[in-house]
Amino acid sequence: MSTTARTRRRAALTRFRRQYARQRAGLYGVAILLVAVLAALLAPLLTDPSGMDVTRATGARMAPPSMDFPLGTDESGRSVALMLLWGARVSLLIGFMSALLSMVIGTVFGIAAGHFRGWVAAVLMRVTDWFLVLPALVLAMVLAAILGGSPFTIILAIGVTSWASTARLIRAQTLAVEARPYIERSRALGAGHWHVMTRHVLPNVAPLVLANTTLMVASAIVTESTLAFLGAGSGQVSWGTMLRGSYDWGAATSGAWWYVLPPGLCIIAVVLAFTLCGRALETVLNPRLRGAS
Amino acid sequence: MVRTGTRLAALSLALSMATLLVAHASPSAARTSQTSQTAQGAPQAEKRIVRLGATQSMDSMNPFLAVRVVSTSIHRWMYGFLTVPDSKTLKPGPDLAESWETSPDKLTWTFTMRAGATWSDGKPVTAQDAAWTFNKIMTDDGAKTANGPAVENFDTVTASDDRTLVIKTKKPQASMLELPIPIMPKHVWESVPDIGTYENEVYPAVGSGPYIAVEHKKNAYVRLKANPSYWRGAPAIDELHVIFYENPEAAIAGLKKGDIDWIGRLQGPQFEALAGDANITQWNTQGRRAAYLQFNPGAATADGEPIGDGHPALKDVRVRQAIHHAIDKKTLVEQAQNGLAVPADGSIIPPMYQEFFWKAEGEAAVTFDLAEANRILDEAGYAKGADGIRTMPEGGRKLEMRFSIHTDEPVEDKIAQYLTGWLKDIGIQLTTRRLDSNKFTEETGSTALYDIAISGWSVNPDPEEILATHLCSRRPTASGEGGGTESFFCDKEFERLYQEQLVELDRPARVKLIKQMQERLYTEAPVVAIYYPNNLEGYRKDRIASITPIPEDNGILYGGSSYWPVYTLRAVERAAAPAGSGSGIGTAVVVGVVVVLVLGAGGFLLMRRRRVSADDRE
Amino acid sequence: MLTSPQQVRDGAEEGGARRAVARYALVKLGGALLSIGLVIVATFFLFRLIPGDPAIAYTRDVPVTPEQLALLRRQLGLDRPLGAQFLDFVGRTLRLDLGTSYEYRRPVAELIGDRVGPTLLLVGTGLAVAVGLGMWQGTRAAWHHGGRFDRLSTGTALTLWSVPTFWLGLLLLMVLAAGIGPIPGLFPTRGMEDVDAPGGPLYLLHVAHHLVLPCLTLVAVVYAQYLLVMRSSLLEEIGQDYVTTARAKGLRDDDVRRRHAVPNALLPTVTLVFMQIGFVVGGAVSVEFVYSWPGLGLLFVEAIRGPDYAVMQGTFMLVCVAVIVMNTLADVVYHVLDPRVRSA
Repeated sequence: MSTTARTRRRAALTRFRRQYARQRAGLYGVAILLVAVLAALLAPLLTDPSGMDVTRATGARMAPPSMDFPLGTDESGRSVALMLLWGARVSLLIGFMSALLSMVIGTVFGIAAGHFRGWVAAVLMRVTDWFLVLPALVLAMVLAAILGGSPFTIILAIGVTSWASTARLIRAQTLAVEARPYIERSRALGAGHWHVMTRHVLPNVAPLVLANTTLMVASAIVTESTLAFLGAGSGQVSWGTMLRGSYDWGAATSGAWWYVLPPGLCIIAVVLAFTLCGRALETVLNPRLRGAS
Repeated sequence: MVRTGTRLAALSLALSMATLLVAHASPSAARTSQTSQTAQGAPQAEKRIVRLGATQSMDSMNPFLAVRVVSTSIHRWMYGFLTVPDSKTLKPGPDLAESWETSPDKLTWTFTMRAGATWSDGKPVTAQDAAWTFNKIMTDDGAKTANGPAVENFDTVTASDDRTLVIKTKKPQASMLELPIPIMPKHVWESVPDIGTYENEVYPAVGSGPYIAVEHKKNAYVRLKANPSYWRGAPAIDELHVIFYENPEAAIAGLKKGDIDWIGRLQGPQFEALAGDANITQWNTQGRRAAYLQFNPGAATADGEPIGDGHPALKDVRVRQAIHHAIDKKTLVEQAQNGLAVPADGSIIPPMYQEFFWKAEGEAAVTFDLAEANRILDEAGYAKGADGIRTMPEGGRKLEMRFSIHTDEPVEDKIAQYLTGWLKDIGIQLTTRRLDSNKFTEETGSTALYDIAISGWSVNPDPEEILATHLCSRRPTASGEGGGTESFFCDKEFERLYQEQLVELDRPARVKLIKQMQERLYTEAPVVAIYYPNNLEGYRKDRIASITPIPEDNGILYGGSSYWPVYTLRAVERAAAPAGSGSGIGTAVVVGVVVVLVLGAGGFLLMRRRRVSADDRE
Repeated sequence: MLTSPQQVRDGAEEGGARRAVARYALVKLGGALLSIGLVIVATFFLFRLIPGDPAIAYTRDVPVTPEQLALLRRQLGLDRPLGAQFLDFVGRTLRLDLGTSYEYRRPVAELIGDRVGPTLLLVGTGLAVAVGLGMWQGTRAAWHHGGRFDRLSTGTALTLWSVPTFWLGLLLLMVLAAGIGPIPGLFPTRGMEDVDAPGGPLYLLHVAHHLVLPCLTLVAVVYAQYLLVMRSSLLEEIGQDYVTTARAKGLRDDDVRRRHAVPNALLPTVTLVFMQIGFVVGGAVSVEFVYSWPGLGLLFVEAIRGPDYAVMQGTFMLVCVAVIVMNTLADVVYHVLDPRVRSA
């Protein structure tokens, strides 16, 4: 790679960073996310996972917050604070992985639908439109019910049902990119479909994909909690399954707010953070929107 | 924009209201007719109403089809049975049958029907009605859905005259006096073309029980009225409403707030949430349910062909007993049932049935003792590997087992969490499998694709059915069709005892045999009882003056196999503030709120208008 | 997912091809029929993935003889080749024969019929209020771009959008229906109506009273997207030359907004309303469960817990088809209304 290219890239990155720094809400989002991801990554170093084993739990059942248990205990005497930390790992993992899956499907469909012409594009768009209008949650519930509950199946259920809007966005962008003269030049020079799609289109749509994926993580985390609440849990402690647990064990009616509120607030904080980041990225990366926020 | 938005909203609102009107045109017509009915009897005093909450809705109003607890309970209140458990002893007592006798060969039962009992439309209840009901179930596949098995052993049922019913059975049947089948009015049901698809949504329904259903709003409520022509005399309240909740937390909130007066079949957490409320009586008594673990004892079909993929170690009774030692039943009661259950020292019959209940005592009792469990397994040759997991004596396969539970059952999930911990301490690796109830029934009842599973049974006053679920003949056929086994157990001694008790019509002798069967189950351990959950309920003292449980000493209010509690219900008489005006006040409040909202919105729009024109003047 | 205004516009512009409206409608109709066909095919194969024997599932809890099972398999058509089963399934579905519920022993189509009304009421009212609220706030926020109202309304909407629907529903239920501390329980704890529901016009009030909390929950979670799209498309319009011109001509601010900017900005929002109906229906599932609202969502959750495959299958197909029909309608109506498309 030539030096000029590298310099240009570095300059672009600096410009991006500067523009992003102007998005105040986006910065808040990044800060919250950093805290959440750090907490999730450090949980195994800072805390003892045996606290998650019910047979080794030390607290009383549904005890209010105290010195030992800053956020009280759950129905088996486990620390709610500890479960929040470990739950962050599963919630974020499911959020990231299903967004990743959805991004991959969406990008492949989007680029292919924008690049190819004729019946291939028509079929791809028909399928995309189909997934776009279908009620994703309902479809995800059916999938989760049929596949059974594990983190993997939940990721699959969310990923498979949420990629359509990404595909549409990427397709529009692909059409715009392919209209540029240099693509035609490269075609004239003998570049194949694969070359055009991976070398020219993909780098150009990548920023948009990034912004879109960030928004996708947000909705995936909410969907995971909803699935867990409606009975299609992953079988692991996540914020969603904690909320389900607080419901099953009557935390709300018996006044155990420390078990009901924190997982919900954590979901709100992280989802809001992803949304803010996603919107900020969109604003920075998409010139059409720059004026509009 | 404001206008466009408002217009859009108004249009959509109007549309949805129109939908609502159309969707409810017919029920509201029905309601008007009822209102006029009540208007005729208007001068009488305040109606005594009790509202029961249920966390499921009716599956069917047709007793030939209904299987949910709420439906069978309501049908018990609407229709008479041949016999009903005595309110004190739970022994079979007369209901629509006044008396009965058996032939010396114990194959022919002759019931004498009650004189003077009438259907709610005035026609007398006769032996013809009973004969029609049983024959319908025996001959019509569509009518078998709910109670088919109960008449499987029937040969013929005939009414020799209006008051004499003769039932001939193929084999002797001790549970003859506890048939779970409501007697239906022949003159009403005869003309139903297809019982299997009939909804029975005709009101007021024709019945012979203490209450008559007068309205059923699907997925919302059933309204029952006292039956004035009930043969015991009308109940002491005027109406009983059964109100369906989907969300148990909301039901508890509803009880605390006074939206309902009584709720049964509570889970531990919900029951605990009622504590400390001065207006609510917490009802905590022995329950009729046993929760137990099933081990795959080397499953086979009814012909003895091995099936399934159960862990070979579980064929060894010593392994099953060792696992029994590794279950801390007290902790499970504490943690999974909020302490509201009885740890099981016995077998599958709960202590509520004092007469039949058996428990292990002294040396014979298996206690929670991980060291003892480890000792048994060591002695039996299951050596621990480097990873702490044991292997089969001949080497090779590790003691890694599956624990099958139902999806969406928090209590079973909790038990799985504890069991996994304890079994790890005795060198057995347990992984939890959550199955929906279809797959669960299939894998634990016919294909035997399980190692350890959780199950439970609500036991009837006569325990014959639960005992029968451990017979060789209950194992599935060669083609995999289930016969309803709860354990794939097949034991000569157990079979012998079962056959003996079946024909033993001397009650104390039969009780003794049944206790021996339980002991056999306890020592052979194809199933291990964990606990007997308590019956947990709650009702509002300020609405319900008194209610008699069944059995009267420390029994069940809702969900038992008798109408006795709802029949004895007494509402608190309310002199000052009748409920009718209470709902009137409620409506008034709503109207007030709506008016305020409309005024507020109007004012807001006006203000905006003024501001806008102020803008314009600039 | 939170849809960005650009996506909506991209979707809208594609419809902007210069073709006769009738032809356009026909093409869209064809597409919708294809989509519905796809739903039927997908449903058939999706539900054949379920392990286990449907006949055994259908007769669980009831002892049956092998002969009865064989008969049932024949009745369910399980003994025939997959292709024949598929054709049979398509035929039945087109005749609205959706099978029989295991749990209720009634035709699924009938069960669904009982539940459609309440769901339409909930989703319809919720959508109307959410769209009205979103458009109003979005307009105001864009007009006073960057101001206090803008920041406050956008922030609130985004936060509420991040809340899991069921959790919000449970909290509202605990606070406003059950009552906590000094707050009395103002609203019913369950359902759409009570036993003592009054007749006549008061009945509407009675139902409205029950509708308040479910509707509030649904609106709170979904209105953000309408606000955001309205806001950003209006912002874009404000930047256009014609708005500047109109203002320069001395038109009143209010008139510029109402007559020029807003109608143009409205279209992406209307498109979004219909594109996101599936999302609102998803929200309704949780809401119905929390408030025991006797609608389709509740039936669906119950069916999954059963499991009652016939009901799951029927509800799933119905909801998908309804959403597709709504979308197609919106597409066509949009095409008729869009001034840019019409003038072309």
